[in-house]
Amino acid sequence: MKRTLVFVLGLAVACACVFFVLSMPQPLKADQVPKHNANLKNGELIFWAGGCTSCHAAPGAEEHERLVLSGGVELATPFGVFRSPNISPDSAAGIGSWSTLDFINAMVKGLSPQLEHYYPAFPYPYYQNIAYYDLIDLKAYLDTLPPSSNQVADHELRFPWSVRRGIGLWKWRYLERNRSLQTSDPATPVERGRYLVTGPGHCGACHTPRDAFGGEMVDRFLAGADSFEVAEGTQGETVERIPNITPHPDGIGDWSATDIAYALESGFDPDFDSFGGSMVEVQENIARLPAEDRAAIAAYLKSIPALPSDPP
Amino acid sequence: MKKLLLVTLATIALGATALVSFAQDELPFQNEIEARQSFMHILRFNLGILGAMAKGEAPYDAAQASAAANNLLAASKMSNSAMWPAGSDMSAEGLEGATAAKPDIWASMPSFGEKGHALTEALEGMAAAAGDGLGALRSNMGAVGDGCKGCHESFRAPED
Repeated sequence: MKRTLVFVLGLAVACACVFFVLSMPQPLKADQVPKHNANLKNGELIFWAGGCTSCHAAPGAEEHERLVLSGGVELATPFGVFRSPNISPDSAAGIGSWSTLDFINAMVKGLSPQLEHYYPAFPYPYYQNIAYYDLIDLKAYLDTLPPSSNQVADHELRFPWSVRRGIGLWKWRYLERNRSLQTSDPATPVERGRYLVTGPGHCGACHTPRDAFGGEMVDRFLAGADSFEVAEGTQGETVERIPNITPHPDGIGDWSATDIAYALESGFDPDFDSFGGSMVEVQENIARLPAEDRAAIAAYLKSIPALPSDPP
Repeated sequence: MKKLLLVTLATIALGATALVSFAQDELPFQNEIEARQSFMHILRFNLGILGAMAKGEAPYDAAQASAAANNLLAASKMSNSAMWPAGSDMSAEGLEGATAAKPDIWASMPSFGEKGHALTEALEGMAAAAGDGLGALRSNMGAVGDGCKGCHESFRAPED
């Protein structure tokens, strides 16, 4: 009996050690990040492409108030309720005290300045594809926005998702699959479109279905998914379906590249129905990009594998 | 015996027809739901005329553009409240899949009304400009889009 007990205890300790080692944070060091003079205009472009306001502006804020990134948007998911943090340049309540390296580690590695893992509700599996120069520009732009002293409550997550260290294991399993091979100086519109969609645009975070652990199912890339409910302002219990945007007949196969680019510019689909729900803000953010970037997104979306929608 | 059989069959057939027509007859608020979906279709139809010109898919025609814009304006000014009776939202019993109107509409009716007015304002701008050239038409499409999205963002559920 005693021998069994010792054996079981030993096994538990061994598992804990393995867990501890596998879930260790692996931040970038200062010498891994290039030197670059920030370009604020480009930082603003990446800001709108990244859709930061959709999660980090105060719920219900309108117009210029959306530049106050005070956080507090609630995302009700199968894992519990996430609350977006204050990422305004306030040095106490926001990220004003962060260095550029801190910001890059957050966006690329999903790590806080205290080396805690972020939950991938913050879409760093996509943001890891943003070039360092663009991240440096983005941080500089964020620093110009109005500060907010708003304090946001913690997430409310169910066990075992509440064990933040466990995300280290999640990263082992899932972070690599979202990495996108592209250059930050693309030669063609399709490559620029790939960069925008798989990087700052993080379109797959909504349009690609996830498995039970919240990892994207990359063989169903952009083929549509059941949505997470956004707690603020939504009533009723219908599970909303997020559309298939691959070039399949189930998706947007009969849209031309011009149709796609125009829809992103105006909010109108080829039949002149307007976008609704969460896509309105996404479209209004993408509408702020230069026309050639919308054309690039369209070119990329016409080039990805055409996938049928899941049966209901 | 044969006569009894025939009478029985006839009665069953009559009863079945009555049952079928009864079942098909009444979704709650079927009339109102069809009316407002047709209303949206009319908006889309006329907007499509303007949009095709804006996108460069059809040649600009001042008279056609003006007509479509005036149609949109007239439609938006219709007194529509009868099409939106309480209890005709997507969560109501018997209406699953029949309408995308969210209960939020009735929970925030003043906001719904405001957004309707905002659409009319945007369409006033379009009606005034649509006949003045392609540039004027194009520059008003954004405001019209905002008018449509204003309701669809908060009050319409996505398609399945």
